[in-house]
Amino acid sequence: MWRGLWTLVSRAARGPHSPRLCTRQGSGYRAPGSGATIFALSSGQGRCGIAVIRTSGPASGHALQSLTAPRDLPPARKACLRLLSDPRSGEPLDRALVLWFPGPQSFTGEDCAEFHVHGGPAVVSGVLQALGSVPGLRPAEAGEFTRRAFAHGKLSLTEVEGLADLIHAETEAQRRQALRQLDGELGDLCRGWAETLTKALAHVEAYIDFSEDDNLEEGVLDQGGSPWGWEAETSGIQPPQVLLLSLSFPPSTADSEVRKLEVALGVHLRDARRGQRLRSGAHVVVAGPPNAGKSSLVNLLSRKPVSIVSPEPGTTRDVLETPVDLAGFPALLSDTAGLREGVGPVEQEGVRRAQKRLEQADLILAVLDASDLASPASCNFLDTVVIPAGARNPNGSRQRLLLVLNKSDLLPAGRSDLHPDLPSHLLLSCLTGEGLDGLLEALKKELAALCGDPSTGPLLTRSRHQHHLRGCLDALGQYKQAKDLALAAEALRVARGHLSHLTGGGGTEEILDIIFQDFCVGK
Amino acid sequence: MSCNPSFGGIGKGHLMREVDALDGLCSRICDQSGIHYKVLNRRKGPAVWGLRAQIDRKLYKQNMQKEILNTPLLTVQEGAVEDLILTEPEPEHTGKYRVSGVVLADGSKVYAESVVLTTGTFLRGMIVIGLEMHPAGRLGDQPAVGLAQTLEKLGFVVGRLKTGTPPRIAKESVNFSILNKQTPDNPSIPFSFINQTVWIKPEDQLPCYLTHTNPRVDEIVLENLHLNCHVKETTRGPRYCPSIESKVLRFPNRVHQVWLEPEGMDSDLIYPQGLSVTLPAELQEKMITCIRGLENAKMIQPGYGVQYDYMDPRQISPSLETHLVQRLFFAGQINGTTGYEEAAAQGVIAGINASLRVRHKPPFVISRTEGYIGVLIDDLTTLGTNEPYRMFTSRAEFRLSLRPDNADSRLTFRGYKEAGCVSQQRYERASWMKSSLEEGISMLKSIEFLSTKWKNLIPESSISSGKSLPLRALDVLKYEEVDMELLARAVPEPLKKYTQCRELAERLKIEATYESVLFHQQQEIKEVQRDEALQLPKDLDYLTLKDISLSYEVREKLHFSRPQTIGAASRIPGVTAAAIVNLLRFVKTTQQRQAAMNRVPKTDQQLHDTDRLEESQL
Repeated sequence: MWRGLWTLVSRAARGPHSPRLCTRQGSGYRAPGSGATIFALSSGQGRCGIAVIRTSGPASGHALQSLTAPRDLPPARKACLRLLSDPRSGEPLDRALVLWFPGPQSFTGEDCAEFHVHGGPAVVSGVLQALGSVPGLRPAEAGEFTRRAFAHGKLSLTEVEGLADLIHAETEAQRRQALRQLDGELGDLCRGWAETLTKALAHVEAYIDFSEDDNLEEGVLDQGGSPWGWEAETSGIQPPQVLLLSLSFPPSTADSEVRKLEVALGVHLRDARRGQRLRSGAHVVVAGPPNAGKSSLVNLLSRKPVSIVSPEPGTTRDVLETPVDLAGFPALLSDTAGLREGVGPVEQEGVRRAQKRLEQADLILAVLDASDLASPASCNFLDTVVIPAGARNPNGSRQRLLLVLNKSDLLPAGRSDLHPDLPSHLLLSCLTGEGLDGLLEALKKELAALCGDPSTGPLLTRSRHQHHLRGCLDALGQYKQAKDLALAAEALRVARGHLSHLTGGGGTEEILDIIFQDFCVGK
Repeated sequence: MSCNPSFGGIGKGHLMREVDALDGLCSRICDQSGIHYKVLNRRKGPAVWGLRAQIDRKLYKQNMQKEILNTPLLTVQEGAVEDLILTEPEPEHTGKYRVSGVVLADGSKVYAESVVLTTGTFLRGMIVIGLEMHPAGRLGDQPAVGLAQTLEKLGFVVGRLKTGTPPRIAKESVNFSILNKQTPDNPSIPFSFINQTVWIKPEDQLPCYLTHTNPRVDEIVLENLHLNCHVKETTRGPRYCPSIESKVLRFPNRVHQVWLEPEGMDSDLIYPQGLSVTLPAELQEKMITCIRGLENAKMIQPGYGVQYDYMDPRQISPSLETHLVQRLFFAGQINGTTGYEEAAAQGVIAGINASLRVRHKPPFVISRTEGYIGVLIDDLTTLGTNEPYRMFTSRAEFRLSLRPDNADSRLTFRGYKEAGCVSQQRYERASWMKSSLEEGISMLKSIEFLSTKWKNLIPESSISSGKSLPLRALDVLKYEEVDMELLARAVPEPLKKYTQCRELAERLKIEATYESVLFHQQQEIKEVQRDEALQLPKDLDYLTLKDISLSYEVREKLHFSRPQTIGAASRIPGVTAAAIVNLLRFVKTTQQRQAAMNRVPKTDQQLHDTDRLEESQL
């Protein structure tokens, strides 16, 4: 069943997935009776000069102020330059043009804010995440801005002609995107979590609705461990063991599951490596034996003379870092000392640092001199760095590595099969630039896997993901604290709503079905 | 009361409070007729408390009849209804016919401006005991066959449901001494908002007893399945009020509870709740006597199953008027529900709307956001049901707002103003309570001390004195162990006066418990209400509508359920997002057209005035 409309929030209660905020809010910026405030990237996905992020709803002003603190709200409908920073960490995000449209004179008729930020994926994702952390804000649903505008009479009927098709297309696209995103590991995880929660909720709901009135028997008995029913209150005085049982019922069935889920969610959220990479750049480390042309490659990729280049081996002794844009992805490119032994203490330290950097690398660009593959330094590098990187480490993942054979200009023409045992590699001449396109293409593929490819538009869904997972986790925290079982169930409903927003499905009927499958309920 | 001798329960108690808030009768009568009052779910939070009582059948009947027969302007006529009197429909409303009365079994006619049908299990009712089936609405009463045929002929989509009742046992033949005894609450909590107490003291109330089934019961059921046609039938029975047979079949090798409930103060019958059964009578007796405490039990009346017709409730609107026949209202089991409380909830709404309809007033509809009654009717009218529908608290998405304690503030004022169904006395009581609560809450918000001071004032509380933070009295009241009594002892001025009314003190405590969550729930409620405010035209012919792009499947669904609002339409399974937007567009156009229409009479009036002016000038 499609459970939508512009008030997907309204589902929040039925299948709650709007942000429930733990903080108590003054009514200052939230007129009673108003809905949630939504935000989204309004310009196209992917790299662009300027990206526009929009919010709509009563907390828009608050959001704008939170991101531009300590400045006041800009005058209405006037573009102002402001420094945006993350309200949680205070970390600067971007210098951006912001616009403030108090309702009803705005696109949607509600209070709106616009952030015109620099179009890099890191900036966009940073601002979206910062907005997600503002109380009262949640990512917009497909077409939700338009629907709100429609609801407030801001669009004429002719303008709305195509809206249904649009929404159909958007929800379809979003569904497909969600499916794509949810295919694989994360999807399985989410579905598993949602099932766990549905089951936990069904048990709590069964306990509320049937344990006393209808002598809910078997299911609860099995899990509670002893007969349970009216006799608990037989004398009006609760025997202590009965009281204990009553308090430990949801724990014994739902609670242990919920606790496990909490841990899993926490681990998943802490593993925000991908998001971080996108924000601060992936660590790309250029390594290789001395004089293979690492520094030349760094200079070529960064289009500026970062490293001193000389024919003398061991020119680079320390780790040199430079932020670069690699095929549209932010990256932190590190030039390292050539790996060799038996040199002076300064270079030795450089080698040690290079090795340490290699361990932390998200991606290694291994550079060898194509004309010098047989040398001991090259062989040693192949054996100690390139081959081990291809092997799986204990947690099953591989170190990402691109093998680049530099100085292809020195090779005799027509010699393409250099070495039969060599792992897959790319030929490059830093001198002539030949092979650079191939390298960039390969880099793009690797970085896309590392950071998520912004051109397929996962930015928004990723922040939605985070938003809902965090919302779920918050709600589980409230579940644990709640002494009132109705409040505990409400917290579980909220938590499950967040997950079902990622996986779909999950109405009351689903809970009831589980209740009647698992328990014999009857008066 | 033709089945269980009890009223209320979890979810059902909520409905009773709401019925009472609209001045429906059952709660007040239960406060005069109960013999064992007990609130269920006491430890699970006030939002899910279930008011419940064992009721004396005889007293209930007497008190109810007295109340009804003493209602001014009400004529009571008894007789079996065989047929409906139908006339031409009113053109300004949808519907193929209009009802103008009923024909009784003796051929006499009763004319009426509107008619409410509450057929219970009587429509083509069929009683089943063992392999015997015979037509009856309930034991000893004739079924309504003619009426069922009339409804079917009119084109109503009819379904079939089943339910059952346990055997009755002679009280003096039960050995209670070896069974678990359950005593009532002290003090008893009344069902009605206008009662401070119930008619009977806790010490004069009767206990209930608990026993269990055992493997021998399972054996008897399993060995005799071939003698049990009710169980084999495909008719849908409830999953939550199952017969002992279906319990044994679905959950084998388990022990099931059987509550032994008194049928009345001086009744010599015991109602074994949980033992609903359709075996042949002699086997029922055999089964009963292998249960602990019932070894020598005498069966007075066997248990039996009932199968009956119901009308798919998607054929009625939220005012409970049928789409097909104008001014005909359905309430209770005819709509596929089970239980007295569900029936009472529909009864009060059908009654109110039957009267409003006659007076040409807009229908009185309760939304999902306002009450369990709204949830019940919205579920029925948008989703339909294929098993007897029963209320649960988990069906209500706004459970924390729709509590038994605040039904009056949710419904009484609307009932008073819009339906005129609420007495002055009740209205004044609800108004007083509302203003006292508002005053109390703002008072509790205004008192603020540091947590260390609160800890000193109320040492019994678990307030942490580690960090010294300012805390409002309302926040202190949220602690489980703090109640108004304790709070008022700490801050007698100005809180003492709020402890003088027990109900007020309790309600303040409950409001505090849910305060922070309710803030968010209020916003969601507003959003749902925004959808509910978008009315779909009632006379829309979805099947032929041209200027709207809808798939045939969606058209059929809308045609059948006839949702009244965009909100209800969006809850119908299979109605897509795009369809909703198209409908929205339609609503907006209609609204614009209506607004334009409303301007027309004004122009007429002006023209008229001008004419008059000209006349006078002449």
